[in-house]
Amino acid sequence: MDDGIILRTEGLTKSYGNGPEKTIALDNLNLQIARGKLLAVYGPSGSGKTTLLFLLGGLDKPTSGKIYFDGVEVTNMNERRLSELRRKDIGFVFQNYNLVDELTVLENVMLTMTFEGKPDREKRDRARQLLHRVGVAGKERRRPSQLSAGEQQRVATARAIANGPRLVLMDEPTGNLDQENSQQLVQLVADIIEGEGATCVIATHNLDIVNEAPSKIFLKSGRIVSG
Amino acid sequence: MPALSLIRFTARGLGRRPVRTTLTVIGLAALILTYVSVQSLVSTLEINVSGSVSSLGGEIDVWSKGTSFPLFSRVPESYANTVKNIPGVNLAAPVALAQMTVDNNEAVIAGVVPSQLPRMISYTMVAGTMITSNQSGILSIGKALAATVGKGAGQTLLLDGYNYSIAGVYQTNAWIDYSLIIPHSVAQQLIGWVNQTSMIVVTTQDPRNVDTVIGQIRTLLPTADAFRTSEAPSKISPIFASLEAIATDITIIVSLSAVLGIMNSNLNNLRERMRTFAIFKATGASSSQIVRLVLYESLLIGILGTLLGLGISYVVLNLVSIPVAETINVAIILVPSTFIYATLLAISVSLAAAIYPALRIARVRPQEVFRFG
Repeated sequence: MDDGIILRTEGLTKSYGNGPEKTIALDNLNLQIARGKLLAVYGPSGSGKTTLLFLLGGLDKPTSGKIYFDGVEVTNMNERRLSELRRKDIGFVFQNYNLVDELTVLENVMLTMTFEGKPDREKRDRARQLLHRVGVAGKERRRPSQLSAGEQQRVATARAIANGPRLVLMDEPTGNLDQENSQQLVQLVADIIEGEGATCVIATHNLDIVNEAPSKIFLKSGRIVSG
Repeated sequence: MPALSLIRFTARGLGRRPVRTTLTVIGLAALILTYVSVQSLVSTLEINVSGSVSSLGGEIDVWSKGTSFPLFSRVPESYANTVKNIPGVNLAAPVALAQMTVDNNEAVIAGVVPSQLPRMISYTMVAGTMITSNQSGILSIGKALAATVGKGAGQTLLLDGYNYSIAGVYQTNAWIDYSLIIPHSVAQQLIGWVNQTSMIVVTTQDPRNVDTVIGQIRTLLPTADAFRTSEAPSKISPIFASLEAIATDITIIVSLSAVLGIMNSNLNNLRERMRTFAIFKATGASSSQIVRLVLYESLLIGILGTLLGLGISYVVLNLVSIPVAETINVAIILVPSTFIYATLLAISVSLAAAIYPALRIARVRPQEVFRFG
């Protein structure tokens, strides 16, 4: 039964270290994220935004608590299932883009499709189409380091949505961008939600994005203060 | 992810790291060259020495028991008479073999009874005559050795420090062309043997009786070993077993060094690309895909190294030969199976060197790499 919720967390807690050295990054987070919507997660540096995204994306394991993706518990998945989840259902746009400079722009966008085993022609066509859509057409053969920060951000976004994920997680996507590029990215996110039908969770300091988002949570010291 | 897609992906990655790829390929090619050279050298020696042992003449050889090479054999000279008295034996000729200094060269000398020589080996005289008596100070020299020492019929040479006149130069087209022949009694004096010889060369009146004669020799001479001349090469197998063991040891040492060297290079290379593999994992690559990616990369390098190594080995070993004397060079014999084993060795080495780094890099935790670099 579709209850309109794509992600749900129960008592999500993440801590590092032990004893007096123990640092609590997330503290007993209960969260529900509606399908096909944009959720902005904002808060000061060190409030746990990135940790939350890593946990939601299956890149890290919580210390306690549970995460459900489309009703299926993620926290007890083995490594193979988590890889499949990241490949098919979740797209990640990292804070510093994390593009592979050994590969061309086109190959970076094709990466998740390569791991998915899609035929060459299909992934090439899809990657070209996405690059055109994010405004980086004509630069397919360049290396990421030959692009501007804004272009790298858009290539990273194209890579994140290449396999048509149901959830796109973006970590400080406008952190290194100027005003103009930030606005373009906000528009791109809106397009993704509308065009791909994906749910977007954005960790950001950017108040424009926060103001645009229909739902938002404010994190402080690993706890939801408002939202 | 289909293997072909992953291999293409890997191949492109290798092309983008040309220095590292080239160095590893050259390292593997060097391994192949070492392996093929050592194995080919052993094969060449085996084939050539086997040929020399089997061309001493006669139908039956009598050596001391347990000896692997006629140079190491020593039997009483009286055995020749014992064998001669066996019914059906035509010739029982004692032959004394020793390695000696001829002018400034080392060569095997053969001491034979001059009157028995024509019934033992077939030869043609290139110049002068064959020795015909037991007279000391006279010898006949093989054509190849004569060319090496630069002497001919009528001249003198130094044999083990004594002057000898060269009665003639013979040719047999066998190993004995790089040798010289002196009377058996003179050879015994030179070696310092009394009533002893290296071996007895036997011919029979009827070749169908060879096995019967061998049986009788074995019964009469329990401390000697009698066998068909054609079986002589198998007698030297312990020597080649030792040579092959040495070749195997060299192969193992070189292969282990290659595995460790390439593994170290792989570990460093993968450590430098830790972030890349973390991104692969974060974007959905499974651990097994990462392992396969690294193994395919190593396999491709292995194939390139193998092709280069085999090519270089083929060219180099066709150009070089083993100098056995100043004017005699034995061409290296290339055995096809050596090339097949070399291919398997290089591929195995490249894969073995990649397994541990692959398993290690597959355990990379993206969140830690992204957070802490």
